[in-house]
Amino acid sequence: MQFNVLFTVFQKILGYNNYALELMAEMGTKLGGSYVFDRQYIHSTCHDMAEIVYKLIYNLNTLAPKKYTRLFNAFDKINKEIEEELAGRLVIPQTDYTMPFSLITGDFTDVVGAKNANLAEVKNVLELTTPEGFAITTRAFQAFMDYNRLDEEVFNMIAAWRKGGLSKDEAGEKIQDLILKGTVPPELQSSISSATDRLYQNAKNGQALLALRSSARSEDSEHSFAGQYLSLLNQPRENILDAYKSVIASTFSGSAMEYRFQKGFAEHEEAMAVACQFMVDAAVSGVLYTLDPRAPDLEVMMISAAWGLGAPVMAGKVKTDLFTVDREAPHSLVSLDIVRKEKKLAILNGGGTDLSPVREDLQTKSCLPDEQIRRIAAAGLRIERHFKKPQDIEWALDRQDRLYILQARPLNIKAQVAQMVCDISAVLKTYPVIFENKGMIAAEGIAAGKVFVVKSEEELNDFPQGAILVTPYTSPRLAKVIKKANAIITDVGSPTGHMATIAREFRVPTIVNTEIATQLLHTGQEITVDARQNVVYAGTVKELCYYEFSEEAFEETYEYRLLRRVLKKIAPLNLLDPSDYNFVPEACKTFHDITRFVHEKAVEALISLEYDNLRNTRTASKKLKFDIPLDLVLIDIGGGIEPSATAGLVEPADVLSVPMSAFLKGLSAPGAWNTDPVSVDFGSFMSSLTKTFSFSVASPRFVGQNLAVLSKEYVNINLRLGYHFNMIVAYISENPNDNYAYFRFLGGVTDIARRSRRAQLLSEILSKNDFRIDVRGDLVVARIKKLGPERMVQKIFLLGMLVGFTRQLDVKMTTDQKIKTSIETFNKLKNGSTEPNRG
Amino acid sequence: MAEKQKTKILLLDDEPIVLKRLKPALEKAGYEVEAFSRSLEASDRIMETEFDIVITDLKMEGLDGMQFLTQVKTRSPATEVIVITGFATMETAKESFKKGVFDFLAKPFKLGEIQEVVAKAENKVLANRSR
Repeated sequence: MQFNVLFTVFQKILGYNNYALELMAEMGTKLGGSYVFDRQYIHSTCHDMAEIVYKLIYNLNTLAPKKYTRLFNAFDKINKEIEEELAGRLVIPQTDYTMPFSLITGDFTDVVGAKNANLAEVKNVLELTTPEGFAITTRAFQAFMDYNRLDEEVFNMIAAWRKGGLSKDEAGEKIQDLILKGTVPPELQSSISSATDRLYQNAKNGQALLALRSSARSEDSEHSFAGQYLSLLNQPRENILDAYKSVIASTFSGSAMEYRFQKGFAEHEEAMAVACQFMVDAAVSGVLYTLDPRAPDLEVMMISAAWGLGAPVMAGKVKTDLFTVDREAPHSLVSLDIVRKEKKLAILNGGGTDLSPVREDLQTKSCLPDEQIRRIAAAGLRIERHFKKPQDIEWALDRQDRLYILQARPLNIKAQVAQMVCDISAVLKTYPVIFENKGMIAAEGIAAGKVFVVKSEEELNDFPQGAILVTPYTSPRLAKVIKKANAIITDVGSPTGHMATIAREFRVPTIVNTEIATQLLHTGQEITVDARQNVVYAGTVKELCYYEFSEEAFEETYEYRLLRRVLKKIAPLNLLDPSDYNFVPEACKTFHDITRFVHEKAVEALISLEYDNLRNTRTASKKLKFDIPLDLVLIDIGGGIEPSATAGLVEPADVLSVPMSAFLKGLSAPGAWNTDPVSVDFGSFMSSLTKTFSFSVASPRFVGQNLAVLSKEYVNINLRLGYHFNMIVAYISENPNDNYAYFRFLGGVTDIARRSRRAQLLSEILSKNDFRIDVRGDLVVARIKKLGPERMVQKIFLLGMLVGFTRQLDVKMTTDQKIKTSIETFNKLKNGSTEPNRG
Repeated sequence: MAEKQKTKILLLDDEPIVLKRLKPALEKAGYEVEAFSRSLEASDRIMETEFDIVITDLKMEGLDGMQFLTQVKTRSPATEVIVITGFATMETAKESFKKGVFDFLAKPFKLGEIQEVVAKAENKVLANRSR
């Protein structure tokens, strides 16, 4: 095939590659909350994405005929999973029937029930202690019903009840009886049995017995179903299958059936998952309401507590101490009511529980000291902040005073809020706005608190719980305080950056790129951040916080969850090192992996193709002879290289390509190719990095495939320096309207903090120099066009300097301060150098 | 507080998520908002009362958005219509403007963008009203 035909294919690949990366970043931005998007958007973008990736693979197989057809298999697998998600079918890890809590996320509500899903988030995201265990899924329930052929009989019983032939209790009892007599399907038995084995293998207390709790699909969401379904405490593991049957049978208690009927649930919508957990041998148990549902405006939390296990507290069967505490830390006591607690529920050795008398001296004693009250209240607020609703939380303290969260569900206070805040817009007008519509929302939500400005890393150590983090840069170093922050506001940053992702995971309302936050806000100032409307108010806007409580959180919407799930199959990059044995089509787990693979192999294919094809002297590739150890292969597609320089090595002077020549001059400008020694602690890392440029490459691991395709007016440069990827495409002719330059920079292997800082530095320098910038995470894209040839040459010269200057800079970007000093250094270099004239 | 008459907005989109996100945002900004996910219900509603601003999707089951906005404009020419659509083409945009829509926004859009457009439409409505 003709070289120019192949080169067209190569350019197509580059084009699709860029488009794919931009689309990915765009989809990521939508999670931030600034945009209104719908299902149709998710479907059509996934479709576009798949099409681009398919075309990438197709074109690579044109460039390197049929060499990478296995990529189509990887593509089919990923695409099928995305289509499953789009069709509403969840892809469940491990088996269909049981799931350890460590693998459950909020996405699995349908599979494990809301109670289990909430509890898993409390454990996995908020890192609060919950009892160890696993969930038996709604699919297990369905398998049980199918295996015992119960669906039709259930349907008939319910029909009979609705028609009045049976009372609800009669119908319920008959169904429950069928379930209790049913057989647990063998596959389900073995799944439960191996999950139980794993649970006991990791157990600290092998003697502990199990609690089996209902976790119906619709329970704990808007409808609490409180007390409708069965939980069994302190069960020996031999009993587990019978206990399981009892719990799922309770789906059909007469009262539960009645409740569903009243609430308008179709019977087929309900499916019962079960939590199977170790019992907590509780010394004290109780319930926390993070807000008084009868009087939310009092700003208090309510804790009821009793000795022993919590079940009778929930059921209202024992008297409880009642503590009313301030919602604000340190959660001081507002009032308390200590009652005589004569009975407590205790676990029995060998199984079961028993209501037994409380020791005389403890009966009138408060069962919670202040310190425990504070711990419970603080945990409650964390959970409330995460779920963005006031919470009804069951908790227990074991005999070692370890706090366990047993259950967390939203408290419905919609009606009260509607009464308190009748016209939110009128209320909002009474609060002074500090700034609005600055920057982008990176994580949605509303929060109030005191500002804490962080300008250096040391200050992070003093960050108080519940403060609002205000900081110049988004840096992943902030990760350690994100969990403590009520909200985050930054001067610069992107909603697709790493910090934004963490903020969304912890659901901390975040606004980035406001430009002015650190100027207008000071430590100690009380503010309210509305990261829905993008407004920052002075003072605490209580009404807004309540208003938020009555709204569905963005993260709870189906569309948010769906987008996040499909993005997991699109955006993460697992293939990093092209020389790794794992850099193969089969290892591509996401569309990004495929994109990355295709790009790498396309560059490789083009080089080897022409390098081997030395007979074609016109376009044969040549190596550049350069002071700088940049292993660069040149392919001339027309007038780019002095024709007399046909043999082997090309001197820079032989490069006739206008943009390439400018780029090389920039790269070799004094001081631009940064060779400063780097500090010792990074020495080992640097030694591996510099191998890229060493002549005796011991390991091919870090060799870059550096390629430039050029003509008189055009250049297309692909550089891989260490682990970052740099692409420069430029066209310079006499006609300004045709002229353009495109610069793309991605990656590096240092930690994301330093990479982000380098991205920051690049974008600041480039935008000062009139480039149009688009930063998404650590991807920096800069464009400039339609300048006259002299000015274009200057811009490309600048890009050359910048590539040299920044190539190992991420290693040095240890603090945010380094961004500023590096920019100054660069500007000095730039001013000191003589920009070239054309030619 | 002296209650001045709020600007009334009807919101129509067959995807509930759009209503869920837009309605509270507009309410917080001080508008009175009625949201519909079924075009036939919205169509009944505009026959009952006059809205200052109508925000509608174009592609929907039942009554299509283009028909709906024709209906709105016939019923009450002073109502400003803002079209939001995920299938933005030059043709649909042209056709919408020919029918007298105030503005045309492609989905997905930023909350800030639509609020800006709504504010402009409100200014026009208020100016016409005081005339």
